[in-house]
Amino acid sequence: MTGALTESPPLADAAEIRAAMEYYARQEWTDGLPVVPVTESYLADFLAQTSLRPDDVVFAIPHLNRDCTVRLAAINAAMAGCLPEYFPVVLGAWAALAGEGYPVKGIWQSTTGTAPLLIVNGPVRTRIGLNSSGNVFGSGFRPNATIGRAIRLTAINVFGLRPHLLDQATQGTPAKYTACIAENEELSPWPPLHVEHGCDPADSTVTAIIIRSCVHIEARHTQVPEQLALDITGTIARTGALIHETISALVVLGPEHARLFAEAGWSKDDVREFIYGHAANTRAELAAVGKDAISRHSHWRLPADHPDAMPDRASGTKNPDLVPVLNSPAAVQVMVAGADNAGVSAVVETFGPRGGPLSIAKVLDVDG
Amino acid sequence: MPAVSICTDPFVPAALAMAKVYGFPGYQFATMPHPLASLDEIHIEARARDLVPDVLRILAVEP
Repeated sequence: MTGALTESPPLADAAEIRAAMEYYARQEWTDGLPVVPVTESYLADFLAQTSLRPDDVVFAIPHLNRDCTVRLAAINAAMAGCLPEYFPVVLGAWAALAGEGYPVKGIWQSTTGTAPLLIVNGPVRTRIGLNSSGNVFGSGFRPNATIGRAIRLTAINVFGLRPHLLDQATQGTPAKYTACIAENEELSPWPPLHVEHGCDPADSTVTAIIIRSCVHIEARHTQVPEQLALDITGTIARTGALIHETISALVVLGPEHARLFAEAGWSKDDVREFIYGHAANTRAELAAVGKDAISRHSHWRLPADHPDAMPDRASGTKNPDLVPVLNSPAAVQVMVAGADNAGVSAVVETFGPRGGPLSIAKVLDVDG
Repeated sequence: MPAVSICTDPFVPAALAMAKVYGFPGYQFATMPHPLASLDEIHIEARARDLVPDVLRILAVEP
């Protein structure tokens, strides 16, 4: 049995360990949970995992005048509870975040309260034991838990993005503790996310997406692909998600739902096209919540009688009373994760580019 | 061009933190009550009027 009580206890003074942990807490080097104290020798184990130099910059936020180096990323990964062999994935995450756009510009500080979601593909998933199956968004798996946490601790400790100070989130999201999943490539009927976007199946990659909400879809009742797709579409189109004129979404299909689509002959693109074609609100539905126009300045949704209002793009189309929430099929990404045990999926409401390319970074120094 | 930053009260801690990040902890800015985004034109104008003395003070303009 793992961790059996019959094993000899480690020869360490618990009071000393606790004192070190409390020291870190007093320095506010934490997300609120205890962190792992880091020594130079332990840090060296992390730095040995990468061909990058300790002073290479992995992420910068110019308006905060702060950079994160490999060394700082490693310290926070170790504090988060990562094992050294996870560190290349953490570095891949930073590379993906640097390419995403929003994080560099300060989305970390927004009242919306977003968090980065990391999606890991390729052989590194199994090499380090990332969970892509049951409870994929939940607890229980050290790589998922700590790789995501490494990003948050770095945000706090390197960039000073502490709540009530530089982090102005009104409510935030539980994903701010950690949000790292792997794709269940083995149970996906389609090419995995990274291959779909041009990588080799043998590549290990991290995709970074900025998210706010993760909404689950219960659809255990149907074998009809259109019914399932409309259930998903209804969630994507909800008016509460609309701050901008349109939104974007990551659909994380459970294996059962992915198979349902695939057995009906639907490709990922078919899923995307269907959702794009049906994700809309009526003009009356938007007017009822005061989101039937957009701001001349911010392009955020507001009531048509607001002094700053101008018509949205749908107003100038042949069907002005039906207002799409997506600007292109590419605003919907599709992947597969979770256990093959129920008709459950999730819509992740993303803040990424609405239709632009995903930010995918290769994990270096692991698959050679 | 001389400028004055304005923020609503809940953002004061963030504004002070940003000023510190830029090495200017004494940076002065004007503040007003929350909320702002949902106000109508009349209330926005009233807010602007209320702010004028503080903006002029920060700009060191003699009334």
